[in-house]
Amino acid sequence: MKNLINFLIHHSGFFVFLLLEILSLMLVFNNRDYQKSVFFSSSNTIISSFYNWNNYIVGFFNLSKSNQQLAEENTQLKNQLLDLQNKLEALQPSGTDSLSYKIPPEKQYRFIEAKVINNSTNKLQNYITLNKGALDGVKPDMGVINDEGIVGIVKNVSQHFSVVIPVLNPKIQINCKFKRNNYIGSLVWDGKDYRFASLTDIARHVPIKMGDTLVTSGLTTTFPEGIPVGTIENFNLKESDAYYEIKVKLATNFRTLSYVKVIDFKNAGELKELEKTAYEE
Amino acid sequence: MAITVFQNIIRFVLLMMVQIFVLNNIQLSGYINPYIYILFILSLPYRTPQWLTLILAFVTGLMVDIFMNTMGTHAFATVLMAFTRNGIINLITDFEKDENPTPSFYTFGIGVYIRYIVLLVFIHHTALFFLEAFSLAHFGIVIKKIFFSSVVSILLILGIQSLKKK
Repeated sequence: MKNLINFLIHHSGFFVFLLLEILSLMLVFNNRDYQKSVFFSSSNTIISSFYNWNNYIVGFFNLSKSNQQLAEENTQLKNQLLDLQNKLEALQPSGTDSLSYKIPPEKQYRFIEAKVINNSTNKLQNYITLNKGALDGVKPDMGVINDEGIVGIVKNVSQHFSVVIPVLNPKIQINCKFKRNNYIGSLVWDGKDYRFASLTDIARHVPIKMGDTLVTSGLTTTFPEGIPVGTIENFNLKESDAYYEIKVKLATNFRTLSYVKVIDFKNAGELKELEKTAYEE
Repeated sequence: MAITVFQNIIRFVLLMMVQIFVLNNIQLSGYINPYIYILFILSLPYRTPQWLTLILAFVTGLMVDIFMNTMGTHAFATVLMAFTRNGIINLITDFEKDENPTPSFYTFGIGVYIRYIVLLVFIHHTALFFLEAFSLAHFGIVIKKIFFSSVVSILLILGIQSLKKK
């Protein structure tokens, strides 16, 4: 017994080492169960307020660029507005014939504007933190886009912040299709370059060309149809393969991500519920 | 004693700030992610009790993990590095029993100190990037990341240390 205690005391450093390493590995594995670790992640209020503060300072350096982007978007919107006004005037009946008036379809999507306060592109599993949370209506599984194209899917939400899994993380696959012929495949990131991802599940009989545009398929509730994903940069078909190897240039530049829009699909709950009951029967 | 503790606390805070707000935002070509926060563990006095070194390493790693959403990976690598630290010092230096130097160019000598930093940074980065990838599928990328990041971390750490006066 005495020997055992002596042995333990003599090697106490080694046991502390083993204990701490096991603890770290448990943290690594529990991370898959991401919900549990929200306390330790950067959507934690204290950590986020650090980042918010950092972002407040760094934000000044990006002001001119953001301004320019906003101005461009503004002009585009104004042009659209003018265009639509012109069309509306052309359509307006000259008399009081109210029969031709059409009620606009109910808007299904709402956008929540958010700012990126933490972002990485160089890891094998990247995450983005946004400055909007449950109080602003953000919920897990909502899609995130910006003006260029698709960004990712919301994973964790706290009161004021949320964590997004971007396309640059092999944990998610994006269901997308060719704009030209509607063939559907899924997009996965291979961990190498933040500008490119690969497209799988496109069978060899599908005619594809360099520069074909990919958009979201609209088959999931996360993204509406037709949001730009990327263009085909390069493709390859081996003699023995049934599927193409396709390299996609992503539409979004993740390095300069600043403002994003979270998509709130109003009828998502209803749709999921309906599908669930149908599958269970 | 009190001065040493105070110095170490200041060093910890400064290194963390530089790591989290500056270095984590630098993304050169995707392969270079320098991690210099480990200099805190590398600069603890030689005779710090081993259990204390290990626990400090764990806490340091965990802090970086919390800020970077990489639960556990940095903690694992830093604890591993802290555990091998004394063995490596014993291997490359020959201090008397009653000496308790704080590792630096002046106490270790230039050549020995460079060897010390290179070995331990390499151990830390190897453990870190392999755990981050967690599969051999990305073997080539991981090796490149380990090599380039280690080189930059080593240069940064040696640079910081060479600014210090005796």
